[in-house]
Amino acid sequence: MPKRSALKPLRRVEAIGRVVAALALAPVALPARGQAAADEPARQILESIRTLQADPEALERAIATLAWRLERLQAEAAASRTEEPSAPTPASAVARLRLELEGIERRLEALAQAIEALGQGRAAEIPSVAPPTTLSPADQRRPLEALMDVLRALAREAGAGVETLKVGPTPGVAAAAFPPEALEFFERRIRPILVEHCQSCHGPEKQKSGLRLDTREAVLRGGSMGPAVIPGDPPGSRLIQAVRHQGELKMPAEADPLPQEAIRALEDWVRIGLPWPAEGEPSVASEPPTAEAAIARARQTHWAFRPVRRPPVPAARDETWARTPIDSFIRARLEERGLEPSPPADRRTLIRRAYFDLIGLPPTAEEIRAFVEDPDPRAFEGVVDRLLASPRYGERWGRHWLDVARYADTKGYLFEEERAFAFSYTYRDYVIAAFNEDKPFDRFVIEQIAADLLPLGEDKTPLAALGFLTLGRRFLNNVHDITDDRIDVVTRGFLGLTVSCARCHDHKYDPIPSEDYYSLYGVFRGAVEPPEPPFLREPEPSPEYEAYQRELEEREAAYRTYRADRWVGVLAELRARVGDYLLAAHETLGLAEEDAFQAYARDRKLHPPAIRAWQKRLEAASETPHDPIWAPWRALAALPDDEFTTRAAPLAAALARNAEGDRPLNPLLARAFEGPPPASMKEVAERYGRLLTEADRHWAVMLQGQAQIAAQENAPTAEPPTALPDPAEEALRQVLYAADSPVNIRDGQLETYLDLETLAELRRRRTAIDRVKSTHPGRPPRAMALVEADKPFDPYVFVRGSPGNKGPEVPRRFLAVLSPGQRRPFERGSGRLELAEAIASQENPLTARVLVNRVWLLHFGRGLVDTPSDFGLRSEPPTHPELLDWLADAFVAGGWSLKRLHRLILLSAVYQQAGADRAAARAVDPENRLLWRFPRGRLDFEAMRDSLLQVAGVLDLKMGGPPVELTEPPFPTRRTVYGFVERQNLPALFRTFDFANPDAHSPQRFTTTVPQQALFLMNSSFVAELARKLAGREEARASATAGDRLRALYRLALSREPSEEELTSAARFILAQGWLGPPPPEPPPVWRYGYGEYDAEAKSLISFAPLPHFADGQWRGGPQMPDPTLGWLMLNRGGGHPGGDAAHAVIRRWVAPREAVVAVEGTLRHPSEQGDGVLAYVFSSREGELGRWAARNGETAAEVTRAEVRRGDTLDFIVGCGGDESFDNFQWAPTIRVIEERAAAAVIGAGEIEWNARAGFQGPPPPRPTPLDPWAELAQALLMTNEFMFVD
Amino acid sequence: MNPSRRHPLSLDDFILSRRDFLTRTGMGFGWIGLAGLFGAGTPASAAPDRYVNPLAPREPHFAPKARRVIHLFMNGGPSHVDTFDPKPALGRYAGKLLPMENPKTERRTGAAMPSPYKFQPYGESGIEISEIFARTAERADDLCVIRSMHADVPNHEPSLLLMNCGEARLIRPAVGSWVTYGLGTENQNLPGFIVMCPGGYPIQESQNWQSAFLPGVFQGTYINTANVEIEKLIENVRNRYVSPGRQRRQLDLLMELNRQHQAAREEDPQLEARIQSFELAYRMQLEATDAFDVSREPAAIREMYGRGVQARQLLIARRLIERGVRFVQVWHGAGQPWDNHDDLEVNHRRLAGECDQAIAALLTDLKQRGLLEETLVIWGGEFGRTPTVELPQPGSNAGKINGRDHNHYGFSMWLAGGGVKGGYVHGATDEFGFAAAENKVHVHDLHATMLRLLGFDHERLTYRYAGRDFRLTDVHGRVVDDLLA
Repeated sequence: MPKRSALKPLRRVEAIGRVVAALALAPVALPARGQAAADEPARQILESIRTLQADPEALERAIATLAWRLERLQAEAAASRTEEPSAPTPASAVARLRLELEGIERRLEALAQAIEALGQGRAAEIPSVAPPTTLSPADQRRPLEALMDVLRALAREAGAGVETLKVGPTPGVAAAAFPPEALEFFERRIRPILVEHCQSCHGPEKQKSGLRLDTREAVLRGGSMGPAVIPGDPPGSRLIQAVRHQGELKMPAEADPLPQEAIRALEDWVRIGLPWPAEGEPSVASEPPTAEAAIARARQTHWAFRPVRRPPVPAARDETWARTPIDSFIRARLEERGLEPSPPADRRTLIRRAYFDLIGLPPTAEEIRAFVEDPDPRAFEGVVDRLLASPRYGERWGRHWLDVARYADTKGYLFEEERAFAFSYTYRDYVIAAFNEDKPFDRFVIEQIAADLLPLGEDKTPLAALGFLTLGRRFLNNVHDITDDRIDVVTRGFLGLTVSCARCHDHKYDPIPSEDYYSLYGVFRGAVEPPEPPFLREPEPSPEYEAYQRELEEREAAYRTYRADRWVGVLAELRARVGDYLLAAHETLGLAEEDAFQAYARDRKLHPPAIRAWQKRLEAASETPHDPIWAPWRALAALPDDEFTTRAAPLAAALARNAEGDRPLNPLLARAFEGPPPASMKEVAERYGRLLTEADRHWAVMLQGQAQIAAQENAPTAEPPTALPDPAEEALRQVLYAADSPVNIRDGQLETYLDLETLAELRRRRTAIDRVKSTHPGRPPRAMALVEADKPFDPYVFVRGSPGNKGPEVPRRFLAVLSPGQRRPFERGSGRLELAEAIASQENPLTARVLVNRVWLLHFGRGLVDTPSDFGLRSEPPTHPELLDWLADAFVAGGWSLKRLHRLILLSAVYQQAGADRAAARAVDPENRLLWRFPRGRLDFEAMRDSLLQVAGVLDLKMGGPPVELTEPPFPTRRTVYGFVERQNLPALFRTFDFANPDAHSPQRFTTTVPQQALFLMNSSFVAELARKLAGREEARASATAGDRLRALYRLALSREPSEEELTSAARFILAQGWLGPPPPEPPPVWRYGYGEYDAEAKSLISFAPLPHFADGQWRGGPQMPDPTLGWLMLNRGGGHPGGDAAHAVIRRWVAPREAVVAVEGTLRHPSEQGDGVLAYVFSSREGELGRWAARNGETAAEVTRAEVRRGDTLDFIVGCGGDESFDNFQWAPTIRVIEERAAAAVIGAGEIEWNARAGFQGPPPPRPTPLDPWAELAQALLMTNEFMFVD
Repeated sequence: MNPSRRHPLSLDDFILSRRDFLTRTGMGFGWIGLAGLFGAGTPASAAPDRYVNPLAPREPHFAPKARRVIHLFMNGGPSHVDTFDPKPALGRYAGKLLPMENPKTERRTGAAMPSPYKFQPYGESGIEISEIFARTAERADDLCVIRSMHADVPNHEPSLLLMNCGEARLIRPAVGSWVTYGLGTENQNLPGFIVMCPGGYPIQESQNWQSAFLPGVFQGTYINTANVEIEKLIENVRNRYVSPGRQRRQLDLLMELNRQHQAAREEDPQLEARIQSFELAYRMQLEATDAFDVSREPAAIREMYGRGVQARQLLIARRLIERGVRFVQVWHGAGQPWDNHDDLEVNHRRLAGECDQAIAALLTDLKQRGLLEETLVIWGGEFGRTPTVELPQPGSNAGKINGRDHNHYGFSMWLAGGGVKGGYVHGATDEFGFAAAENKVHVHDLHATMLRLLGFDHERLTYRYAGRDFRLTDVHGRVVDDLLA
C-alpha cells in the first residue's frame, strides 16, 4: 500500500483502486461458501470480487464518477461557505472526516488483504481480517457499493481544496456496466426529465428531427443534426447547448426552459459518460424497451424491492447503552456522526409517553406514583405489558389502521341513495378486536382482502374484515373509480406502492406498467357485494331486534302493497284499453324511428312496451296456420289502406258467415263482423276491443259474485272459478289472461310502465326500507362483505384509463416487480385470495417493511422511511436501512405479532431516552433523524378528546357498535374512535384537528396549529361542560380547603401536584374572578310564534299565546299532528296552517329591535286547488291594523309601505281560516325592511336592516348555559395548557 | 427534478421543519455522509412561524398581479347567450332548426331559441351585454369577458368539480385550497379561504371546496349566509359561558401556565405556536364578528349593494377581502339556481335581478377603495346553456318548451381587476353560440391563468402525494396571455 502522504487523495484512490482491481482480477479460487449470516462480510467481499472480475472497467468508471462527484462536492462546499458565513466552521466536520478516513483506510487494507488471502487459498482467514466490526453497516449493503463507499470516503478528504484529477469518462462503454449509483442517479434525476420534457417529441411516438431520447444508443446516434451528446463533454454536446438556450436550437420547444437544476443534472449526466441501464435496443416504432428490463433492474437495485435479509447487529463502541438490538443500530449511526444518545427519561415522563402511545389516554396520578416508586428495575416492562393487554390498546392502534383503510361511515356524494353505510362499524370493531387479540398481521392482511374465500368454519366475524375494500367512496357508483379506490388502498396500504398511478399509463417512475394495474383491476372487478350482506352472527332475540323486525316488515309491506296496487292498476288499464293497443300495434308497424314511435305512444298515453308486446303477439298469431281469433285480423290488416273499404266488405261478410268448417272462427268474433263492414283498421280494432273488454267484464262480475257468496255466513265454500261458462268467451278472456298475454307484465318490467311520480314514490319507499336496515338501533350486525362474481372479470388495459379504449388483454396476476422468477396467472376464481397470499407472503419484500415502518413512525413521529406509503424509486431511502430490515425480519420471525413489535420498540433504550434538547447534537443532526433524543409530540384529535373526557371523569368505555354523532349535543362521551365519520361533509371539528382525510388512504396525519383549535377549547360547550365536570369531580369538591381543592384539580387534570408558584397563581385567579360579572345577556329573539284571536271587525288583537311545541321544523300544539287541542294549527319556515275558528288564528310575531320606519313585503299564497282560502292581517302594536288580504287557491301580494316602530313594538302576521280550515296550508314569509333610520342608528350602523321570516325562522333557542364558576374556568385553563396537549 | 422543491413551500415546512432540505436542493439525492456534513451548519429552524403555521403569508414564484380572489359562482349554469354573448343569428332561426346538428348535451334540444332579452354596447369598450345585467354592464370597461370557455361534459357534478378542483371525478383540492396553500393568508384572525352560500350547499356539497390531500386547514370554511348571527357563521366564535373580561383573565392565566411549562424546556416552535394560537383566537372573536357585521357599513354603501341575501354576501365578501382573506367564493344559492331547463326568461331575469346591482356595487366599491387592482373577481357558472330550446321528455322541464339545456361546448365567464385587461372580450363561440370557436379557453387554461395572476407558475405549484406531484391543472393548462393587462 502506498503511504498516505505520498499521494494526492484522488491519485491515492485511484492507486488503491487499481491494486484492488488487479488483485481481484488475478485468477482467484473462489470458495463456494458464505451464505450463512456469520460469513456475510466474506460473502460480500467475494461478490465484490466477482463483480470486478466480470467487469474489469467497473472500477474505472466508478473512479470517473467519483471525480465528478468530488468536483461537485467542492463547489457545494465553497458555495455553502459563502452563503452561510454564520455556519459553524467545517473544523469539526474535517476532524470527523479524518477519523472516518482512518477507519476507511483500515477497511480498504482489509479488503486488499482479503483478496490476497483468497488468491493464496487462505479463505478461512477472511472473516478475521474483515470482521463485521470493521465494516460499517453501510458497507454491508451492496458489495460494489461498499467498495465505492470506501473510495468515496477517501475522496471526500480532498474537499479541503486539493487539486483534483480530471478523469475522463469512457465513451461508449457497455451500458450494463455503470455503477448502481450512477444508474440510480439516472433513474431519479435524468429519466424523469427525459420523460417529462423530451420524449413526447423525441420518443417512440414522434421523432422530431429524427432524434429520439429514449435509449442511450439513440442519444449517442443522434438525429439529423448529428449526435445529441458527446459523453464527457457537456459544453460540446448539442443537447446541453439546446437546453441552455445557447445558440439557435432552444429546447424544450414552445415551453418554459428547464429549471437550472435539471440542466445541471443533465450536464453531470453527460460528464460522467451518460449512465443508462442496459435495455434492449428498441426496434423501430415498436414498444419502448421499458417494462421487463426496468422491472428486473429495479428488483435488483432498489432497496425496497430486494429481499429482506436479517443484517448482523452492529457493535457499538459503547455497549453499555443498548438494551435491544434496535439500540445497536441506532447507536452505530450516532457514533458515525460523533453523537451520543440522551440519558434515560425520568419515570414520570416515560409512563405518560407509553400511555398515550399505546392506549391514547393519560395515566392517573396514582398510576404514575405507583410506577415512579416501584423499586423493580423491570417495572417499565410491567407497564408496557399491562397497556398492551388493555382493550384500550386496540381502540388506539385500531384507529391508526383506520387511517390506512380510509375508514368512513358514509359513501360520499350520491344523488338520492341512502348515504350512510349500515355496517361500516362492523369493520371498525373487527379492526379493534384484531389489534386487541394480536391477530398475526399476515392473517390480518389476508382477511381484509379475501376473508370470504377462506374456510372460516363457525366463526364468521372475519367477514367484517372485507370492509377494508368496500367502505371507500362510491363515486356516484362508478365501478371503475370504486375499483381504483380498492387498488389504491391495497397497494399503498400494504405495499407502499402507488399502483394507481398506472391507471392511465405506465407508472412514470416506478416499475409498474399499466398491464399490472389492470391485472389487479381484473381481480377486484371479479368481486361483488352481495345484495343482502351476511350476518356476522345469527341475530339473538331482544326487544330492539324485534322492534327492528317489526318496523322492517311494516316498511316492506308498505312497499309491496304500493307496488302491487300499481301493478294491478296498470294491468286493468291495459285490459280496458285493449282496442287502443291493437290499433297502436298496427299503426306503429311502419314507424322505423324509435323517436316517432315514442311520440306516438306519448300522444295517446299508451305504454310503449305494451304496444311492442301486442305487435309480437299479432306477429306470432299470423305465423300459426289458422287462429280462430286472429285470422280475421290478419286478413284485414293485410289489406292496403287505399283498397280497404272496397275489399273489407266481402271479407267481413265471409267472416260473419263463419262458413269454413275446417277453419272455424270464434263464434263471438264472427258475430262481430255482422252488419256493416268495418271502414278502417281503427274500426276493426274497436270491434276486437269491445269483445275482449266485454269478456273481461263478465269475468269480473263472476269473481265478484263468488266473493259475495264467500262473504256470507255458512255459505258453502266454493272453488274459485277457473273459466267463463261460454267457451268462446273464455277463449277471448284467455287473450287477456293467459301467461303469454301481452297484458301480462313480468316482474322487473313493471318499472317501465310507471310514471315518474309513481317511480319516485317507489324509490322513497325503498329508501325507507334501506334506512331501517342501516340505521335502526336493533339492526343485527352484518359484514360489508364481498363475494366472487358469477364469472371472473377478464381484464384488458384501458388505454389512457378510458374504459371504452380497449388495449391488450392481461391475465389476473401479481405485480411483476414483486414476482421474481416465472410469474403465473392467478388460477382460483378472481385470484383475490392468491393476491392476498402474495401480499402477506414473507417472501414479499414490502409488506413487513412497510408495516414496521408505520409502527416506527407512530412511536417516533417519523418513519425510518419518510414516505410511509411510497417505497418506490423516488422515495427517500431509509435513514437506517439495516434497522428497517432487522425489524421486518424480526417481525416476521416473531409470527407477525404487533404486540411483540411494540414491546421490542418500547423496551429499547432509544425509546426511553429523554426528550431534552442538546444544542451540540442539534447542530449535527438538526432534525433528529438519528434519534439522539426522543421527539416531543402533540396529542392527535382522538387522544385529545378522549383525554378531556377521561380527566372530566365521564369517559364512557363501552366498546363497539354503531357510530355516534360526536359534534352535536348532547355530546356523547364514548371514545372518539366510535364517532360517526361523515365522508362527504366532514365536520369542521375533525378537519380543524387534522383528522385523516377519509377520502383516500392516509399515510400520515398532519400536525398544524391554527386558532380554530384554540376557539374550540376556549368556547365550545363541549369543552366548557367538561371543565365544569372536572371542577365538580368528587375528588376535588370534597377537599377540606381551597388549597387542597387546587391540588386535587392539578392531580386530576395533569396527574401531578402543583408547585407553590402554580398554587399561588391559581389562587389569585380564583379570588379575582369572583369580582367580574356574568356574560352579557343574549339578545331577545326577533321572531316569535303563537296563535290567538283577532277581531277583524274591531281590528284588534284579542289574544296571543305562544305555540308550545317545536318538531319537524314546525311550531305547533304538541308532538302529534293534529294536536288534540290545537288541531292542524302550525307555523313553519315559509308559512303554516291556521286553526279552525276565529279564536285560533296563527300569529308570526316580529319584535322590533330598535326604533325605525319599516316597510313590509311578501306574498300570501294559498296553493291548494281546493278549500275556501285564508285571511291574513298585519297588525302593529303601535298603529293597529296595517293591512288585510285574502288568498284562495292562488296568491296575492301582501305589502305595507310604511310603519313606525320603537324598540319592543311588535308586528303580528296573523292568518285565519276563511270559514273552513280544510286545505288551508298557506305560504307567507314576509320581509321587514328599514326604510328610515331614527336618531343615531343611521350614523353608526345599528344592526340588521332587513328581517326575513324564512331566513330568521328558528326553533326554540338553546337554553342559556349556566355561566362557569371560577373553579371551572381554572379547570378549563388546565385543559388548554401545552402540558396537557404535549407528550415529552 | 421536482420543481416544487424549489418553491418556498412544501408539506415538510408545516410538519417537520426542513427535512433533508440540503440533500434535496444541493445534490438532488443524498450522497452518503454528505447531508450531515452540510446539515451541521444550519440552525434547527430558520422560520419557526412557517414551521407550524401553514397559513402564514408567503410570496409566490413571480411578482403577483392579484393578491386575493372573489369567485362569484352562478351555480346551475347561466346561459351565455342571454347574458354576455349576444347571438343575433338565433333571431333569424327563431323556432327553426339550426343549419347544423345540435351537439349532444344532457338532454335533447330542438329549434333555435333567440334570447328574450335585449343586448346593447356599454362603456368605451362597447362590450355588448344583456339587459338583465344592465348594472354590471355599467362596469364594462373593467370586465374581461371570455366568450370561448369550454369544459368536458354537460353534467353538473363533474363540471362543478372541474371548475372548482380541476378534475371532474377524483378527489382533488379546490382552487382556493391551492391558493391558500401557495400563499397563506394575510389575516390570521380569519380563515384564509371562505365559501358563502345562502340556504345550504350546492350540488356536490363541500367537495367543491375540499382540501383533499392538502392539510385540512386549506379547506374552504363554509358559511351559510342565510344566517345573520355571527355564531352561526363561524363555529365557536362566541363564548356563552363567561364575560369577555373573565375570558381574558383566563387566557392570561393560561399564558402564565404555558410559560412555566416552557421554561423547563428548550425553545420549541411547536409550543410557542400553540401559545400564540390562543392569542390569535382571542382576537379572531372580535375580528370575525366585525367582518361579518354588514350593519357597520354606512347606509350609503348598503344602499349601493341593494337588498337581499346576494347584496349582503357580496358586501361581506368585500369586508373579508379588505381584511386580508385570500380567497372568497360566493355561490348564488343552494342546489343549482341557474339551472333553468324551463321558464328561462322569467328565471334568468329574476336570478340576475337578485345579484346584478350587488355585483356592480362590488366592482365599484373595490375600485373606489383601491382594492380592485389586486383583487381578481371571477364571474361564471360550471358551464353555459344551449342556444336551442330543450325538448320535453320525462324527467325534465315539466313539459314546458321554454328553457335551455346544459352546454359545456361553449360558455362565458368574466374576470375583473387583479391584473386582467379591462374592457376586453376574448374569444368567441360559433355563430349560434353553441361551441367555443375562436381562442378557446378550457377550464384548465382559466386555472393556469388565475394562478399566473396570483404569481404562480401552475406547473410548479405542486404537492407530493401518493408517489407523485399533483397540481391544480394536472397535466393540462396553458396561461392565456391575452387576458393579462
